[in-house]
Amino acid sequence: MQGKYAVMNPMPDSARLVIFCGKGGVGKTTLSLAAGLKYAMNGRRVLVISSHPIAELALAVSLEGLSARFPAAAPNLFVLYIDPRDLIADVVNKHFPMPVMAQRILNSSIFTNLVEIAPGLKEFFFLGRLQELCERRKNGSGPAAPDYDYLIWDAPASGHFLTTLRSAKNFEVFLTGPLAAAGAQLHRFFSNPQNIQLFPVTPLEEMAIAETLEMAQSMAEDFEIKCSALLVSCASPMCAAAEAGIAGLGPAAESSPAMRFAIERGLIERERCVELRAALPVPQVLIPRITQWSNDLDLLARIGERMDLSQFS
Amino acid sequence: MKIIVCVGTGGVGKTSVAASIALTQARAGAKCLVLTTDPSHRLRTALGLKDGLLEQRVPVQDAKGELWAALLDVNATLDEAVRLYAKPGNQARILQHPIYRQIANSLSGMQELMAVERIDQLILRGFNNIVVDTAPSRHALDVFDKPELFADFSDSRKVRLVSRTYQFAEAVGLTTVGRGALEFYSRVESILGTNFVRQMLDFYSLFYPIAEGYSARARRTAALLRDPKITEFCVVTVPAKALRDAQFFIEALNKRKFAIGMICVNRTWHHAQPEMAPEGLATELLDWYRSGSASHLSAIAKMREMFGRQVKEIRILNELERDVDGVESLRRLADQLEPALAAAAQ
Repeated sequence: MQGKYAVMNPMPDSARLVIFCGKGGVGKTTLSLAAGLKYAMNGRRVLVISSHPIAELALAVSLEGLSARFPAAAPNLFVLYIDPRDLIADVVNKHFPMPVMAQRILNSSIFTNLVEIAPGLKEFFFLGRLQELCERRKNGSGPAAPDYDYLIWDAPASGHFLTTLRSAKNFEVFLTGPLAAAGAQLHRFFSNPQNIQLFPVTPLEEMAIAETLEMAQSMAEDFEIKCSALLVSCASPMCAAAEAGIAGLGPAAESSPAMRFAIERGLIERERCVELRAALPVPQVLIPRITQWSNDLDLLARIGERMDLSQFS
Repeated sequence: MKIIVCVGTGGVGKTSVAASIALTQARAGAKCLVLTTDPSHRLRTALGLKDGLLEQRVPVQDAKGELWAALLDVNATLDEAVRLYAKPGNQARILQHPIYRQIANSLSGMQELMAVERIDQLILRGFNNIVVDTAPSRHALDVFDKPELFADFSDSRKVRLVSRTYQFAEAVGLTTVGRGALEFYSRVESILGTNFVRQMLDFYSLFYPIAEGYSARARRTAALLRDPKITEFCVVTVPAKALRDAQFFIEALNKRKFAIGMICVNRTWHHAQPEMAPEGLATELLDWYRSGSASHLSAIAKMREMFGRQVKEIRILNELERDVDGVESLRRLADQLEPALAAAAQ
């Protein structure tokens, strides 16, 4: 691990934002953490950011055992949950040097209501924070300020993910004044392929695939961001098997409902891999279903072993 | 009247389970409607669902009753509410307002709010056996905490107060308003932008009557949903999420005093396994299946141990080879559900 550190490229000016996106429940959080752990084991400083509460990041809880299990990764891996409401509070605090005044605004129900009902406002501030975290180094923060080689955004489910990204453009189009200018600037940042690495995650299921393709199309059209690779989660061993092996499976199907299920599922998944490749011509990374693991951390490490994303950077 | 509300997180097959539950009711002789939020393309086609506000009869062979399906179209439901409840002169202004274009998609909980609105409409149209498929979110229940929530966005005296003070302040040239208020608005404006604040206030002052009518209807619906003789909640989950989902939803439902019917563990690998070991790739495949199956069953056992006593029933549904793609797949799920629900329907 330490050897790899020495041959790394020189640090770029700002951190790459690596985005794991896809339908709800496809394993974005798990893959984000697995990728984070892997980067961290290779000596990179990584921040995994999530906009859903820590409670849902159930895996993160067991990251407590990290330093015992993966001492090389522990000092490099950070997990952060950002509540957009806190960001808005930050803005208010910055505007008011006097804490009393800031508190009055923040405690006022008028302001909190306004924030809740303003469409896209929370998403907008979240994007702003992401960009700030990516560019920290550029802005010349003090040496004590944390900085990262990779920011991993464990994005919300496709629909909300796109809403979040579009909030910048919406602010630019629908508004005038400081928020519109900030919207234009944010939209530029999130439409620049140099800043973003997009990894959609999908299992080989119809709805998840449809949603992934739709999202990839939106990302290409609205933001000019292309997917770096498609991560296919929980794939059957039949996906990567040779034709001859598949042909030999025939009789096994009759042996039991379980085998019939496994084989039919495998055949469907093989077909879908091919269809997906045609619809979204980017590299596919098959991440097999991990069948044995002792704890969450172990699971993350095992997924990491099978997920090599360094080739796409 | 009978209402079953299916709750669950994303990717658990909630829509399919909801539709299958409705199918079991129809087989048992009821006229049952499933209100779905986000069906897959094929399920949508199979059920004959279209955008808009129509209910669709689904042809089912050998069912004594009738199966109906409707799609929750958030935009159409909201547009309809505007047409029903806004003053005629305000309708066009609301529908064309720049804030309105964003509100349906970005207000959190809008889908749930509109589900409540739609349930009310369906009951008025004579459907009294409804299976509701909620949005795939843990927050789907928040809307029931406060039927006034929607009205609160705009009815909230606070926003109206802001709005009035604001309009008043503008009308009189700001000088007569107290210093505190004046400073407050100029500060808020400096943060959010004048135009934005003005647009928001303008919009919500137009929108208020709609939200107000909504809260009356929402209260009526919430009362039905709280009545254990009428409504049961069904937690739909998958093995990997069973423990977390059961814990979260049982707590959330108990807190709100909703009746929990069953926990339905969908997509379980619990098919009968072969007695003889196969050869070649089949061995690898069976190992793959077995390890998946073992982890499914141990997760369900853990969940049963912790929460089994708090629900009427835990039901395991074997995963189908293909995603649910038609009435035939629903039938196979319904076959697995039947023993429990047919009894409950009597």
